[in-house]
Amino acid sequence: MTKTWEVFRFELGFQMSRVSTRIYFALFLSLALLMSFAIYMDARHDGYFFNAPIVTSLITIITSMVSLLVTSGVAGDAATRDGQVRIDSLLYTTPLRKASYLAGRFLGAFAVTALLLLAVPLGLLLATRVPGIDPAALGPLHVEAYLTSYFLFALPNAFLATAVLFSLATISRSAVTAYAGAAVLFFSAFITEGFIGAKLGKWGLAKLLDPLGYTPLHALWMSFNTLQKNTLLIPLDQTLLSNRLLWIGVAIAVLAIAHLRFRFAYATGGRTWRRTAVSEETPAIRWTGLTIPAARRVFGPATRLRQMRAVAMRSFRELVMSKAWLLVPLTAILFVSTAAEVLEVELGTPGAATTARVAEVLAAGELARMIAILIAISAGELVWRERDARMNAIADVTPVPEWLSFLGKFLALGLMLALTEAIFLASGVGVQWMMGFAPLVDLGLYVKTLFGFQLIGFLLFAALAMVIHVLVNQKYVANVLAILAYVALQMARELGVEHNLLLYGGAPEWTYSQMNGFGPQLTAWGWFTFYWSGWALLFGVVTYLFWMRGEERGLRTRLAFARRRLTRGPAAAGALALAIIAGAGGFVFYNTNVLNRYSTDAEQEEWRAEYERRYGRYASLPQPLLAATKLRVDFQPQRGSAEIRGSYRLENRSNTAIDTIHLVTSPSVETSGVTFDRPSRVTLHDQDFAYRIYSLGKPIQPGESVHVNFAVRHAPRGFTNRGRSDAVVGNGSWIQHRAEQAHGARQWLPFVGYQTSRELSNPGARRKLGLRERKDIPPLEDVAARSDPRGREKIALETIIGTDAEQTGVAPGELRRTWSENGRRYFHYITDAPITNSYAIYSARYAVQRAKWRDVDIEILHHPAHTRNLGRMLQSVRASLDYHTRHYSPYPHRQLRLVEYPSTGRGLGLTSFPGLIEYSEAFALVRPEDDARKIDFPFAVMGHEMGHQWWGHQLMPALVEGAPVLSESLAWYSAMMVIEETHGREHLMRLVDIMRSEFLAPHMTAEVPLMRTFDRFDAYRVGPFAMYAMRESVGEEQVNAALRTMLAKYDPARTPFPTTLDLYRELRAVTPPAKHALLKDLFEEITFWNLRTKKAHARPAGNGTYRLTLEIDAEKLKGNALGRERPVPMHDTIVVAAFDAAGKTIYRQEHPIRSGAQTITITVPGAPARAGLDPDHALLDRRPEDNDVATGFSPSPAG
Amino acid sequence: MSFELRIEHLSKTYPNGVKALQDVSLTIPGGMFGLLGPNGAGKSTLMRMLATLQEPDEGTIRLGELDIVRQKEAVRETLGYLPQDFGVYRNVAADKLLEHFAILEGITHRGERKAVVEALLRQTNLWEVRKQKLGGYSGGMRQRFGIAIALLGNPKLLIVDEPTAGLDPAERVRFLNLLSELGENSVVILSTHIVEDVSELCTRMAIINKGRILLEAEPLPAVAEMQGRVWERVVAREELPAIERDYDLLSTKLLSGRTLVRVCSDSQPSPAFHAVEPDLQDVYFSVMNGHYARRGNVLQVAR
Repeated sequence: MTKTWEVFRFELGFQMSRVSTRIYFALFLSLALLMSFAIYMDARHDGYFFNAPIVTSLITIITSMVSLLVTSGVAGDAATRDGQVRIDSLLYTTPLRKASYLAGRFLGAFAVTALLLLAVPLGLLLATRVPGIDPAALGPLHVEAYLTSYFLFALPNAFLATAVLFSLATISRSAVTAYAGAAVLFFSAFITEGFIGAKLGKWGLAKLLDPLGYTPLHALWMSFNTLQKNTLLIPLDQTLLSNRLLWIGVAIAVLAIAHLRFRFAYATGGRTWRRTAVSEETPAIRWTGLTIPAARRVFGPATRLRQMRAVAMRSFRELVMSKAWLLVPLTAILFVSTAAEVLEVELGTPGAATTARVAEVLAAGELARMIAILIAISAGELVWRERDARMNAIADVTPVPEWLSFLGKFLALGLMLALTEAIFLASGVGVQWMMGFAPLVDLGLYVKTLFGFQLIGFLLFAALAMVIHVLVNQKYVANVLAILAYVALQMARELGVEHNLLLYGGAPEWTYSQMNGFGPQLTAWGWFTFYWSGWALLFGVVTYLFWMRGEERGLRTRLAFARRRLTRGPAAAGALALAIIAGAGGFVFYNTNVLNRYSTDAEQEEWRAEYERRYGRYASLPQPLLAATKLRVDFQPQRGSAEIRGSYRLENRSNTAIDTIHLVTSPSVETSGVTFDRPSRVTLHDQDFAYRIYSLGKPIQPGESVHVNFAVRHAPRGFTNRGRSDAVVGNGSWIQHRAEQAHGARQWLPFVGYQTSRELSNPGARRKLGLRERKDIPPLEDVAARSDPRGREKIALETIIGTDAEQTGVAPGELRRTWSENGRRYFHYITDAPITNSYAIYSARYAVQRAKWRDVDIEILHHPAHTRNLGRMLQSVRASLDYHTRHYSPYPHRQLRLVEYPSTGRGLGLTSFPGLIEYSEAFALVRPEDDARKIDFPFAVMGHEMGHQWWGHQLMPALVEGAPVLSESLAWYSAMMVIEETHGREHLMRLVDIMRSEFLAPHMTAEVPLMRTFDRFDAYRVGPFAMYAMRESVGEEQVNAALRTMLAKYDPARTPFPTTLDLYRELRAVTPPAKHALLKDLFEEITFWNLRTKKAHARPAGNGTYRLTLEIDAEKLKGNALGRERPVPMHDTIVVAAFDAAGKTIYRQEHPIRSGAQTITITVPGAPARAGLDPDHALLDRRPEDNDVATGFSPSPAG
Repeated sequence: MSFELRIEHLSKTYPNGVKALQDVSLTIPGGMFGLLGPNGAGKSTLMRMLATLQEPDEGTIRLGELDIVRQKEAVRETLGYLPQDFGVYRNVAADKLLEHFAILEGITHRGERKAVVEALLRQTNLWEVRKQKLGGYSGGMRQRFGIAIALLGNPKLLIVDEPTAGLDPAERVRFLNLLSELGENSVVILSTHIVEDVSELCTRMAIINKGRILLEAEPLPAVAEMQGRVWERVVAREELPAIERDYDLLSTKLLSGRTLVRVCSDSQPSPAFHAVEPDLQDVYFSVMNGHYARRGNVLQVAR
């Protein structure tokens, strides 16, 4: 024991005395401060405390993940240092037991990590003491929060990490293995959360399997609302406890294995299982004389090239043979084996494996992050290679110039990255081939994305990593610094640095769409990247100047060396670098800040605040309402520009005369030529805030109309910090007008009156900028809001679109005429019935699929290659028209168009406009036929959008709490009915099961009742299920009758607009009094059921009937705004059902169920195989799988 | 021989205050030159400076026309260096690594390179094990491999720092022979703390201690200088303190329980002493003890 103590003391003392240890401490401290600062901005914005207990824990856990890098250094060093400084043979001969040695070393390394991590709570505490902090974002000090964070997360993680990394390094006798292990640990947190949890939906397992505890904590974070964040401590529940205990156990097991595998003996070369035993023969004493042939030595350019090749190839070989590099092929294998899941879209539907999509995943965040770490470490290995092998003295005296060693090694790094990309490319092709996308493999596109964009980005980072390593000249510290630099660049936006000219390697993201290729971002990307390559070159020169050679490590000597090396060549390269930086940087700056207006997120917030401060007083000024819009839109796809001439007919529907008209224009276009059909003059024209006020010579009397004409020009100049506007592109231009949202890059048309939607909505941001507090959403009881017609007017729309000859222009309404003129094509659309003031206009090279439903023309305008799901979409449109017209009300238009638009990523991006539904390329390419669960996803989603043609466009909810229930929930509910009618109940149940599985994913548990919700999850999941439960309980026709009444009562042209109160009333009217309680449970309160059938037992009762006894357990819970739940007594009628072996329902009857354990005995007409409660999961139950069980049998009839 | 190494007023002080070299001046002609001194005398610092790896604070080093401090690049083209303590890449085969270094040494012709590599591997008796990973090499084999690298490119200046420390007697002999043969047409500087290394081979030598050159000489004349001044006798152990007090003690050696002492004296110290033939070890000890230096500060013998 004393010996262990001695080794421990030595290890601790040794590590603590190192400069690097102090640097790490400072790094952790600043990292905690930095993250606190980042969170502070977010917290202040969102209104929670930035020092809330859960925030403390989150930062602790993230720092402890970053600290893996340091731990791998410390642990790797502790495990291999003796071998490296060759004291091992000395040590192994001392009377030191293996266990004491290992234990001492391990505990020493662990203690160092544990002490270093103390910097985190310290940093977090310091962050709360920074002067000038907004007191509203600073919560009370919870000492327990810091203790929990440290002892529950930091310390166990340090223990696990040290144990695993120390053991890896001990067994392999190589510190690099520890890095590879650290990377695996680091990414396992993301894999458990992103894959096991989010993808597979096995959240319980994911929370258990995350070695660092990130998944359970992050799940908690996701489920907390502001109040919970601010008040609750991290509960040490079973989930967290079992996670922590499991991984401490694993750590101990790993240590035991290391102890068994470690041999207390001098390390011979090679691996243990293939040791190269070299015979030590005595050389002949006879001296034969010197017989070394003369060899010519040449030192010309050819030799330099040959030497460069030698250095590059040798270094490259070392890199790809290192254990750390194994991560690359392993990742490729992991990618291939999980690609199907990764490519999934919503609800786990198989997504397309197009080259663009696969390449995008390969270039995506996680992989890039891993490669960045690999680059940082590899750069270190390269820079330190000779010194680590203690061969530097020999290598340094070879007649090879420094620039050659540096370039050769940089080349090796480049080769390694190229090989990495090649492996990724191969894995991508493999994935496409496996998934039946072999014909769509586009090697050119792979090369452009992986070897173009991505490799260049990596090389830029490699140059940074190299210069850091060479300047810092401390391998582990430089590793951490390089990786931190990468993290900081990723986090820069949160920290308020947004301009890509300030973020090394920064450039607008490249995008790729099947319709429009790389689109307009390429030029901007190219210029930014050229600018950064200038920096990379400069870093290269600096790296060369400070390249380590020889034994002189002093700063002064190194500076002197650098001065000496700064001869004409490097000086010229440096000058070139500076010229590129200045030239390209200047050009970029001219584009982003001179040609275009550059504003940071904060400036944009300030802009919106100032807009409100200046003009907010006009918010309730009576303004005429829009009644008709006429547009002539001229797209110039090749030039990326467009012009619109338009006119509005404005109607005074108030009861006072209106003599001023306020116009709010779009900042992303030039608006001009505003004229009225009566004398008017501009009384205010605020260019900066896009606000104009016109005084009319003659006021508009109530009921009277006025016409206003305007022209809009969109002609992007150069590019901005985020690239170039992609509203008008070569193929796939589209613009929008949305009444409820007056800010957006594609919304060019002027709005009438002050636009509340341009105000800042976030409460924290409003407070920060000194704006009055306002409710984001008016309460349900706000009578005035219920009658506010603004943004809810119905209009007639007439559109003429001019575009390139081979493109089709699309707008809502009937296509009256199409003609060609001057080599351009024109399309003239007029709506056949009033529409909401939300629509979109498109132009692209479309193929058209036409069909009819009764007298409605259905058109699908799609990219010619994207025909995969047309049939399903069409079927859905027809079935929806069928069901909705039969049960609710007629479809108001004579045409229905589905329009595809260019998009990247996996977002489905469907939007339903009156008579027109747009969908993204990703949606066009989903693969329902490969869905093992046999769900017709395109049918379902299109059904939902079709539902909006009624719920949203015909029934237009008032903009108060609960509004999305009337649009989204009802649209899903009626889509579910359409699915059931077309594909059958089984199909619907399968879909519902999938939708329900999202309840298991972490989401906000603190809720408001459905009636008052504005939450997405409530609207899309809880609402439809509540409607479905009502239908199960009172019948489909009753529910539909209630909805029909809603449509009939609320003519969209009249105020007040409907709310959930009206829905509740209509549903109540069709519900028998006995079920009123259920309605209340579902809509007025937050209710969960916990239904469980423990045992089902049947015995024959003669005539083929059976007596079935069910032992059940029931519980009913009510939730509150804090997410707390309390059980309430239950008096519900719930469906009891039994199924035979074929799955056919043989019994289905409602039974009264109360709280607690109880027994139900029923007689069923056949042999029951399964039986239980609420088999369709109509009620919200978070453990739906235990609702029913398999039936057990007694052999003989009841005696 | 015109190829001559000229060291003038070389000084080096480390940041921790250790004065590694103080005003060292040496002229080293062709042939083998031995640098003798105890551990920590500054040998390795000097050797690293000659090998372009360290910079002097003051002074110059010239190799023929080349300034070693300023023209490192050119010097390296004619330089071979075997450091005192070095490692190797563990996972590379000997022939591969030697070939790699051959390229770095500018031997770009493939055939010639193969021939040189083979010859060197045979010379260092590593030919049989050339395909083995270097990680499996013993200390002696590694040392010989280092020599092979140092000899690549036929260096005009060969610096070997304590090369014989890890070698067994047979290897040592073989290695020293090799060095002396190389010394026939280049400057070979051998640093060592083993006197025999120098006495057997070197045409010239210097003794260094605490950063100063105490003696620069040719071994034979240096030994001749001591002729008639070295005396020996066998004493009991308890007599030793008295001898140490009364005479200039050179060395003591245990001899079957008794002690053989050698002292330095111009005349027979006492009848118990008898004259012996001096050897280089006597020179070394007398220089180290300061007896040799009585006649001058830095001794130039038979220059």
